[in-house]
Amino acid sequence: MRNLASLSAIALIASAAAAQSETLTVSWWGYNGDKLDANIIQPFKEMCGCDVVFETGNNADRLGKLQARGGKGVDVIFLTDAYSQIGVEQGVFQKVDPAKIPNLENIYPVARDPQGGFGPAYTVGRIGIVYDSATVEPITSWSDLFRDDLGGMVSLPGITTTAGPMVVVQAGMVAGTDAYEDDAPAFELIEALKPQVVKNYNNGSEMVNLISTGEAQITMTQDFTLGSLKNAVPTMTWADLEDGDIAVLNTLNIPTGSENVDLAHEFINFVLSDEVQQKEAEQGVDAPINMNVELAPEQAAMWTYGQEAIDALNTMDYAKMNAHKSDWIDMWNEIFGM
Amino acid sequence: MSSLSSPRLRAWALSAPALLLVVLFLLVPVFSTLATTFGDPEGPLATYATFFNSRLRMRVLWRTMEVAVITTVISVFIGFLTAWVVSRAPGRLKSLLIIAAVFPLLTGVVVRSFAWLIILGKNGILNDTLLWIGVISEPVSMLYTEGSVIVAMVYLFVPLMILTLVGVLEGIPQDMTDAAASLGARPAAAFRQVVLPMAVPGLIVGSVLVFTGSFTSYATPQLLGGERQMMMGTFLYQNAMVRFDWVAASTVAAIMVVVTLTTVILMSRLARKLNPVAG
Repeated sequence: MRNLASLSAIALIASAAAAQSETLTVSWWGYNGDKLDANIIQPFKEMCGCDVVFETGNNADRLGKLQARGGKGVDVIFLTDAYSQIGVEQGVFQKVDPAKIPNLENIYPVARDPQGGFGPAYTVGRIGIVYDSATVEPITSWSDLFRDDLGGMVSLPGITTTAGPMVVVQAGMVAGTDAYEDDAPAFELIEALKPQVVKNYNNGSEMVNLISTGEAQITMTQDFTLGSLKNAVPTMTWADLEDGDIAVLNTLNIPTGSENVDLAHEFINFVLSDEVQQKEAEQGVDAPINMNVELAPEQAAMWTYGQEAIDALNTMDYAKMNAHKSDWIDMWNEIFGM
Repeated sequence: MSSLSSPRLRAWALSAPALLLVVLFLLVPVFSTLATTFGDPEGPLATYATFFNSRLRMRVLWRTMEVAVITTVISVFIGFLTAWVVSRAPGRLKSLLIIAAVFPLLTGVVVRSFAWLIILGKNGILNDTLLWIGVISEPVSMLYTEGSVIVAMVYLFVPLMILTLVGVLEGIPQDMTDAAASLGARPAAAFRQVVLPMAVPGLIVGSVLVFTGSFTSYATPQLLGGERQMMMGTFLYQNAMVRFDWVAASTVAAIMVVVTLTTVILMSRLARKLNPVAG
């Protein structure tokens, strides 16, 4: 029924929009709304003389809606790369025209075309391990996550989160195998870890809650949660892993049903521009991927900043991951859900 | 207008708008959802075979049934006692008691489930109290168990049970129990032979509400159970929004619909057996 309600809401928006000049529909999470409005939306509106409307929600909900509408109703969609890869495979995005996005040449090569022509990334995050340095011996590699002295203090990202399937990939790496080829050793390690796990989390706020209430002291998460974790427990520490964190790229895609394709390209180009990337990085919204952004050391400390830091990250093969996801969900549920 | 003069036609005409809404926005979506589950190339029942042959999925189904039944039984017990006290209270006190009983309903499900995270957590109120009294020497892990899910569910649904039963119990005149007593019935016998049969309709309605509510709940098992205590609602979400497997999700939904309907039918039959007048 929610889909129906949102469909009719969108139909209303669409019909209202048709009465005006051009209207760009942007689909994103809805975090940091005020800053994004000031940094991106208002200046873009002035630039294009058009109107901008939004659809907000988490990755899965928004992609699910877009799929239900056959790729219509949205002009630009912001997703984490794990989900935009699903969208690419479902065929709900169109290829972008690089000629219409001149700012591509100012961003790091890794972000220019992560998914075979379907759009660039506008920020890079990292997924790694966080632990409470007051109670846990230092964690210095992925294999430390599977140590046996962490009794009942671990909260893993649930298999349904962006980071969940990465636990399987990293467990495979620790076991010395490729989880995509043979996932048995990875799941043996995860099963051995089960007694150490208090509860796996399904979203960021739940994870912060587990840490702040003292249920868990170690977790695997994305860097944007570190601020909230430190506020809750000041001794929470981002582990410096010798085998590197995992890169998470947030992508911009144009759905197949977009009615303002040129405007969508213009918008993407604007999000990648020097001034937007600079403001977003300074205000703690998103890490910059524009090479012209200059940050003071204290501003840079919170981000994956600079070529070297970006090169040190491990990248995930989401096409392979998505192919295995359904099986992995079952195997994971067999371990944690029985 | 002469065609509208017959009462039957008028009744149809008057109920047509509501009927149309129900058909268009409830029956059509439900049946089109169910229809997708029979379209598997391997045979119309292939997705159901997958479900019933999976140890994990059956475990989820049984756990959901178990939690819903236990929640209903406990809610009946607590709800009946509370409703009895409330229904026999004098006027103003009665209003106050009803407000107190339904007060939790004024907040959202997520908020009420979160409250239990704060109560049952390792640094929670209950652990702190027990530590302070000295009953335990270190915090006990109470969350993320079937027990914590049931506790929160009972808390969620008891107000519904109380509301349903207060009205019914108020309708049982004091004269009835007095008459039974004057005819030599002990209080227990009067309760069993007079009060209980008359309360059956309320008990059935309340039980159906609580059972279906807890059988289909999502937020509470998600927050207080997690994947270890996966229930049908959380499993349905996982199939739809994570795997994007709408057919599997629809199959889970269909099974939930069948279980819920079966429960309602069995309960109504039980009601007729216990109280032929009410049935």
